[in-house]
Amino acid sequence: MKDQLNKLDELSRRQFVANTAKAALGVSVVPLAGGQMGLAAEGGGKAEHCIFFYMAGGMTHMDTFDPKPGTETGGKTKGISTGVAGVELSEFMPGLAERFKDIAVVRSMTQKTGDHRGGSYWMHTSYQPRATIIHPTMGPWAQTMLGKMHPTLPDSVVIGGGGNHPGSGFFGPALSPLPIGDPDKGVQNAELYKGVDEDKFGKRLELMNTFDSSFQKKFKTDEVKAYTQFYEETLKLMDSEDLDTFRLDKEENYDEKVARYGNSRVGKGALLARRLVSSGVRFVEVSSGGWDMHNDLWTAMENTGKGLDKALSALIDDLKAEGLFEKTLIVLGTEFGRTPKINVNGGRDHHPRVFSTMFAGGGITGGQVYGKSDKLGIAVEENPVVPQDFNATIAHAMGIDLSKVIYAPSGRPFLVAGHTRNADSDEIVPEGKPIMPFFS
Amino acid sequence: MKRKLLTNCSMAVVGLALFVVSSAQAEMREWTSSDGRKLEAEFAGTSGAGATAQVKLKMANGSFINYPVSNLSEADRIFVKGNLPTDPAALAAEVDKLVLGKMKDAYYGLRDEKAALPGNEDLSKADKIKRLKEIELEMLMCVPNEMSTDSQFLRRIYLDVAGRIPTFAETEQFLNGRDANKRAKLIDELLNNDAFAMRMYNYFSDLLRVREGVFMMGNGDIKADPYIEYIKNSIKEDKPYDTMVKEMLTAQGKIWDAPAGGYLLSDSGMRLCNLSNTFTIFMGTEITCAQCHDHPFEEVYQKDFFKMAAFMGGTETRARGNMMMGGTDYRAEVTRMSKILKDAGKLRERENEDRNLRQWLGTNSVQVTDTGDNKVRLPHDYKYDDGEPEQKVEPGTYFGEIVDLEEYETPRHAFADWVASPENPRFTINIVNRLWKIGFGLAQIEPVYNIPGHLDGQAQNYELLTFLETMMKDLNYSIKDFMRVVYNSNTYQRESETLTPSLTQVDKGTYHFPGPVLRRMTAEQLWDSLVTLTTPDPEAIVRRGADEYREVMHYDTAQLKSADDIEKYKQRWRSVGNLVKYDGTPVGRDDYVGGEMMFRASELRQPQSASHFLRMFGQSDKQLIENSFTTGSSPQVMALLNGKITNAVLTNPEAYLISEIANGEGSKRDKVDKIFLSVLGRYPSPDEKTAAQSGMRAKRDRDASDAEKMNQEAAAIGDVIWALVNTREFMFIQ
Repeated sequence: MKDQLNKLDELSRRQFVANTAKAALGVSVVPLAGGQMGLAAEGGGKAEHCIFFYMAGGMTHMDTFDPKPGTETGGKTKGISTGVAGVELSEFMPGLAERFKDIAVVRSMTQKTGDHRGGSYWMHTSYQPRATIIHPTMGPWAQTMLGKMHPTLPDSVVIGGGGNHPGSGFFGPALSPLPIGDPDKGVQNAELYKGVDEDKFGKRLELMNTFDSSFQKKFKTDEVKAYTQFYEETLKLMDSEDLDTFRLDKEENYDEKVARYGNSRVGKGALLARRLVSSGVRFVEVSSGGWDMHNDLWTAMENTGKGLDKALSALIDDLKAEGLFEKTLIVLGTEFGRTPKINVNGGRDHHPRVFSTMFAGGGITGGQVYGKSDKLGIAVEENPVVPQDFNATIAHAMGIDLSKVIYAPSGRPFLVAGHTRNADSDEIVPEGKPIMPFFS
Repeated sequence: MKRKLLTNCSMAVVGLALFVVSSAQAEMREWTSSDGRKLEAEFAGTSGAGATAQVKLKMANGSFINYPVSNLSEADRIFVKGNLPTDPAALAAEVDKLVLGKMKDAYYGLRDEKAALPGNEDLSKADKIKRLKEIELEMLMCVPNEMSTDSQFLRRIYLDVAGRIPTFAETEQFLNGRDANKRAKLIDELLNNDAFAMRMYNYFSDLLRVREGVFMMGNGDIKADPYIEYIKNSIKEDKPYDTMVKEMLTAQGKIWDAPAGGYLLSDSGMRLCNLSNTFTIFMGTEITCAQCHDHPFEEVYQKDFFKMAAFMGGTETRARGNMMMGGTDYRAEVTRMSKILKDAGKLRERENEDRNLRQWLGTNSVQVTDTGDNKVRLPHDYKYDDGEPEQKVEPGTYFGEIVDLEEYETPRHAFADWVASPENPRFTINIVNRLWKIGFGLAQIEPVYNIPGHLDGQAQNYELLTFLETMMKDLNYSIKDFMRVVYNSNTYQRESETLTPSLTQVDKGTYHFPGPVLRRMTAEQLWDSLVTLTTPDPEAIVRRGADEYREVMHYDTAQLKSADDIEKYKQRWRSVGNLVKYDGTPVGRDDYVGGEMMFRASELRQPQSASHFLRMFGQSDKQLIENSFTTGSSPQVMALLNGKITNAVLTNPEAYLISEIANGEGSKRDKVDKIFLSVLGRYPSPDEKTAAQSGMRAKRDRDASDAEKMNQEAAAIGDVIWALVNTREFMFIQ
């Protein structure tokens, strides 16, 4: 038991250190406004916006962008012509085959983990999961490197994402993408409850602030501060007209559009993403599940596969019609592909060795395929692309400096598309390399 | 299989204190009660724990008496406590000693480093300033926090043990209680309450991914009820945790006969994933990467992975034969019943087979069986020289004990015994690390799912962790008794941290738990706390279905002769897992509160739909292990500002709390107290009271009727409740 004096001494010390600690811990990364790079010369930097379609569960490459009809691993999936000699997409992608001149396909994606969480994390962040840090995803990276795009709308939005999204990682909760569960519901509870007027609402808020002041004064943890910031930002958002941006029911010709995009999560997600981007949101992720096809793959592809094709096709058409296609990058990613070998349940299992992704718009030259898988779709045969390269391609298209080092609050250095160190000099080396043929 | 008390030398050092028990036994000594009466007797053990602990004394004539530990003299209490491995207060004191010792050492170490800093020639001036700041922060974390107030303790212990805030009555009872031992008594009381099982179920269902339909994929034709109830009952009965794990790994048969089989069925068709999950969940070890290549950081080779998987190589989750109870082929029954329905015009025009019946009866083929045929082979692209591609792999362990398959019914039973053995170096440490996190908001080793293979020097509180490990074994893997110790410790009962411990600190081993970490309520704690504001008895409504489900699936369908019979049978299937009240009567829409199912989260759909309040605040989607979250978002804030729960369910004039308070006895001052005690578990400060009362001062409108005045007051009370629920204080656990 410490004596009273000693304790007092320590308590005052504690107070003192608490203040210093607050100053030290409160430091966050300073957002850098304005692009820093002359990437335009290399064909990059044209994408002001990005719509990132994330196919959760592991999208089968064998039955979408890299079909192997007639081989022992091809299954029932047929190929269809793209108009480019020797290049076929699967029968489930008729719309994209027709628009092949606008899209660029990667058939040599590869990564190392067959677990959903690890693979998804790597694709989203360029880094493998670590115990001591959460790495940010591309939307918050873009905001940090390029500055906020719109004064009141959030810079990044995730539609239909799971609870496990790495979000803003070490950039802190303030840069968290705004999550939207159901695209049709938009931002739920955005308006005052019926029967509650501004007056009553204001009175309630005043009470809330009075009641919470002692707690907030005492507890200065990051989490508490983050919630207080969420309250402030949410109240600001409720006051702005920006909320209509999130309402699909305000979309002109809603029914006609839903018919074209598909009455599905991914279809409506694409429709909402287009609406958000044209209003000034920079980065929208549309997350869509149903791809973990261990069982009965071909039945599942009828909806999931064709639904994706429909959504992407309609989006490309509309962005072109609005003149947004050239400045909006469309990216399609997933955590891994699926085993060429068909399992006993008529499905395919996890296969990180080779899989496919797709890019379009935002300065990407369409009508091409980069990389190649082997005859049976088992391994990469040519030009392997790792998640770091995948994100480097996004970053290059958006004009984000690939060699800029950002320090996490813990002091550890990170780059937008991953980094390694020079074994001799220990210098930081940017890791991901953009797929340059897409920018020619 | 034998269970050794101590398993390695590092634990023996810490275990010593507990081991004294045997030497203390079998000696005659004089016992004194707190009021001075004396007695000669031999010490023969204890029963119960905490406030209800009793000492067993053997008299000279050979008879035994049980005597409450709390009625013994101070010296005798210390004698008993100091000698008993199962006494929670003594164990808690040991925890405190280890925590404080480590904190003290660290503090002095940092102080010395600070003193030596100016003379350190290896550091630049800038680095010295940086390090000085770090040292000061770390020193700050090396001073134990003040003890919590009764209010802080009450709210925290309810949320941690019962999973919700206390009701007004519970708050009043505790705060007004004068018993010096009231904290220990409350802990015992709560641990024995059904609410504890609900709260721990929420934890385990996140860890085990318990979901309707059980399978990862599939369309929900299997009911999860038996598995859900199995977990809840195991907690209620305080089934030893190691037994529970073995049951899950060895269950055989259909889920309604062998409910623990839900664990293996969850990964049906994914044998290798299931192995990874078993390691993550029960051994805190991430070996997923070894499925495809040697582990890059740990000594786990790809071959090891397949050797481990081979234990389950002959275990299937689908049975051939599609047998129903009594041996009927279910397809024939479906055809027979479909024809009856068709003839009665109950099927659609082009429909010849009842889809529901086919799928429901088809679940008879879903069962955990052991075929004896090991299906595990090395992968086709196996590239190491200790095996050939596609080569058959024999079961084998790569750490811990070597298993002799001969001794077991199946290799799976051998595996289960190996996993849940006190000799398994990761099994016990995994669960104590996880349980510690439940109490403190931060584990000793983070992340909990990846404990390094070689612990020495890496865990910040190595002695404490190994002590807890030994303690868990001594407590015979009782989760209840383990948590009882944690909750009785001063370390737990201190005020929570006012700053965020940095992960770097946790990583470097410089965080020593000066108190629990301030944490946001889990989604379930938050929901269940809102439920608590709508009823005097938050646990009044529960989900029940395991028994009914077994009956439905054991039913001899040959008895179903008419379309009517069949329709009734289908209705019975559908109603399995409905909510009931204490007396078993079904819950109807009338029991909903303001149209919402304000019942404990553990009794509702698992998980809720993506747009439900629970999911918005971070309930796991149950797709991945521990997929829940407690980070904030704007939609959460909007739900609290503008959602139905805060604007109608809790605050309409008929709402439970409002009518209790508005119609209740007492002045406005008392009413304000009551609101604060109900929502925050504490009394308001004078400023808060003034602010709340000014809101409640209904307009003195002479023309207003009594009913109108009453309504105005109710609305004002609603405003106060709304405001309190929207505070950070409400959402966080101090």
